[in-house]
Amino acid sequence: MSLIIHPRPSPIAAAMYMMRDLNVDVIVIHGPSGCCFGPARLLEKDGVKIFTTALSDREFIFGGERRLIEVLKKIDAIFNPKLIGVVGSCASMIIGENLKKAAEEAGVIEKALCCNIHSGYGDNTSGAIEVLKEASNIGLITKEEYERQKKLLEMASILERTRGTARQEYIGNYAGDNPDEVAREILKVLKEGGNIICVLNAKKETAFVYADIMLALAQTSVKFLANIDPNIGLPRIREYSKEILRELKEKGIEISLITGGLDEYPISGERAKEILLEERPDLAIIAGIPHAVAVEGKIRTIAVSAGTRASYNLKSIGYDFVINEENAHRASLGNRRIQKSILGESIRRILKE
Amino acid sequence: MKSIAIYGKGGIGKSTLASNIAAFLGTKGLKILLVGCDPKVDSAINIIGHRITPLLELMKIQSRPPSESFIFRKGEIHCVEIGGPEPGIGCAGRGLIVGINYLLENLNVKDFDFIIFDVPADIVCGGLAIVAKEGYAEGVLIVTSDEFTSLYAANNICRGLFSLKVPSCGIVYNKATSNGLKFVRKFAEKVELPIIGHVPRSDGFINAERMRTTLIEILPNSEVTNAIISLSLNLLKSDFRKIPKWLSMEEMEGIFSENS
Repeated sequence: MSLIIHPRPSPIAAAMYMMRDLNVDVIVIHGPSGCCFGPARLLEKDGVKIFTTALSDREFIFGGERRLIEVLKKIDAIFNPKLIGVVGSCASMIIGENLKKAAEEAGVIEKALCCNIHSGYGDNTSGAIEVLKEASNIGLITKEEYERQKKLLEMASILERTRGTARQEYIGNYAGDNPDEVAREILKVLKEGGNIICVLNAKKETAFVYADIMLALAQTSVKFLANIDPNIGLPRIREYSKEILRELKEKGIEISLITGGLDEYPISGERAKEILLEERPDLAIIAGIPHAVAVEGKIRTIAVSAGTRASYNLKSIGYDFVINEENAHRASLGNRRIQKSILGESIRRILKE
Repeated sequence: MKSIAIYGKGGIGKSTLASNIAAFLGTKGLKILLVGCDPKVDSAINIIGHRITPLLELMKIQSRPPSESFIFRKGEIHCVEIGGPEPGIGCAGRGLIVGINYLLENLNVKDFDFIIFDVPADIVCGGLAIVAKEGYAEGVLIVTSDEFTSLYAANNICRGLFSLKVPSCGIVYNKATSNGLKFVRKFAEKVELPIIGHVPRSDGFINAERMRTTLIEILPNSEVTNAIISLSLNLLKSDFRKIPKWLSMEEMEGIFSENS
C-alpha cells in the first residue's frame, strides 16, 4: 500500500466507537489529555462518559500505570459503571503500559474492556477489531458475532483502499455541489415521469441523518432501499434500525427492500448495486457510504456523504452529483430520532416553490 | 571547553573510566562537569562517595528544580545524574531527552573546561542517542575490550555515528591484555579511528569502587593510573573530526580470523 499523506481516521477513535456500540458506560483513554479530544467530545454527546489519564512527560519517563489505577478507582467510586472501556494511546503503548494489570490492581478487571491500541496500528478498523476480539474473549459477544463483524470491518478497509479516501496518496477537498440545484434536478426527473431509487447505505448512527432524505421524498414516487435490518448487529445497532423503521412507518414510508444491517454497508452496498443495475432508474440517490454502491458511470447518480474529502473522492471517481452532509456525524449522535439533513431540507424548500 | 560522550557495551567500564578521567582532570585545575545518563545513577558515586539525587527524581516532585539541588561538587568536579525510571517501566530514552534539555537550559556549559556525558550502553534508540546526535557532546569516545561482543557493540556505535554524522575522538581499549591488542587494533584500523588509550585490567578498580572512590586516588603511582592520565591528556588534545566507518558482519568475523 502506498503512503497516504492526508490525515486518516484513528484506530483509537474506532476502538472508542466500538466500545460505545457495546454499551460501555465510561471510556478511559490512557494517554495525554489532548489525545482523541475530538472523538471524545462527540461520544460524550452520545452519552458515554470519557476520561483521560492525562499523561505527561513525567509518566512517559517513569510509567503511567499508577495514574491509570488511580483514575479507574476514582471513576468506579464516583460513577459505579457496569462496563468500563480502557483504550491505549501512542504514548502509553510505546512505553509498554499494561492496561489489564492496572484494571486488576484497581479492582475493576471484572467489568473492564481493555484495548491495547494506538494510532499507528494502520487502518482505523483495526481498533474496532481489537475491541471486538477482547469483547469475545471476555464473553460480551459470541465468537460468531466477532467473526462476522471482523469480516465486515476488513471488507470496509478494502473498500476504503479501493474506492474510498485511502485509495490515493493524496485526496483533496471539495465542498460538494449546490444542494438546491441537486434538489431541483431530483424534482425535475420526477416531474418528467422518470424513475428514481433512493438507497440508504449508511454506517450505524449516521443513518439518523441520511434517512431524512427519505422523509423529504415521502410524498413522491421514489422507491426506497435501506440497510436497516432490525435483526442484524449488536443490540444497540438493531435499536437504531428499529427506531428509523418506526419513524418511517409513522410517516407512511414503505421500504421496498431491506438490503442488510446498519453495520453491513460493504455487503448491503453490493446488494443495492445489483438492484440498481437490474432496475436501471433514471436517477439514483445514494446516501451514507455511496462508494460501496459502485454504479457510477452506469446510472446517473447523486452521492450523499459527509466531509469535503469524501466529496472530492466521490466526485473524482465519477458520481454525477455530490452532496456534502458535513454535520452528518455530529448531528446523528445523542438522539434516536431522524435529524434534518442538508439535501432533505433543500428538497422540502424546492417542493414548496 | 571540550565535551565528550562515552559509549560502549554495557558493563565495559564506561562509568569507571568517566569518573577516573574526571578525577584526574579535576586535579589539573580544570573545571569538570560529569553528567551520568544511566537510570541506574552510578556515574558520580565514586567521585562524591555516595549516590546523588538524580535530576529526574527532583523533576518528578518539582517541575523546575534549582540547579543547586541537582549539581553535586567535589573540588573542581561537578556531578549531575540525569536518572530515569525504575527498571522495567516507562522510557529511559525520553527521560534522557527531558533531563538533558532541562540541564542545558539551566547551566552555562561554557563555564566548564571539560564535560563528560556517561551514556548507558550503545546507541540503542533515538532517546539514548540524544547526547551525540544533538551535538551536546563534541564527539564520542568508544570504550571496548578485545571480546567479540564488545567489539560488536563498538561497531554498532560506529554505525550509529556514521548515520548520524557524529564524530569520534577514538577508541579506548579497556581491560587491555597483551594478547587482545591485535584484535582491537584491526578493528580500529578498519573503522578508521585511533586508539587513544589502553587501560589494563586491574583489581584496583574493584577495590576503589568498594571504597566509593576512584582508582587514581587509591593507586596514584600505578600503571593503571598512568594509563588513565595518558588517556585523559589525549582527550584534551583530541580534535573530534573523524566520523568512523562501520563493518559488515563478515568483516567483523574477519577481525578474529588469523588470515585477515
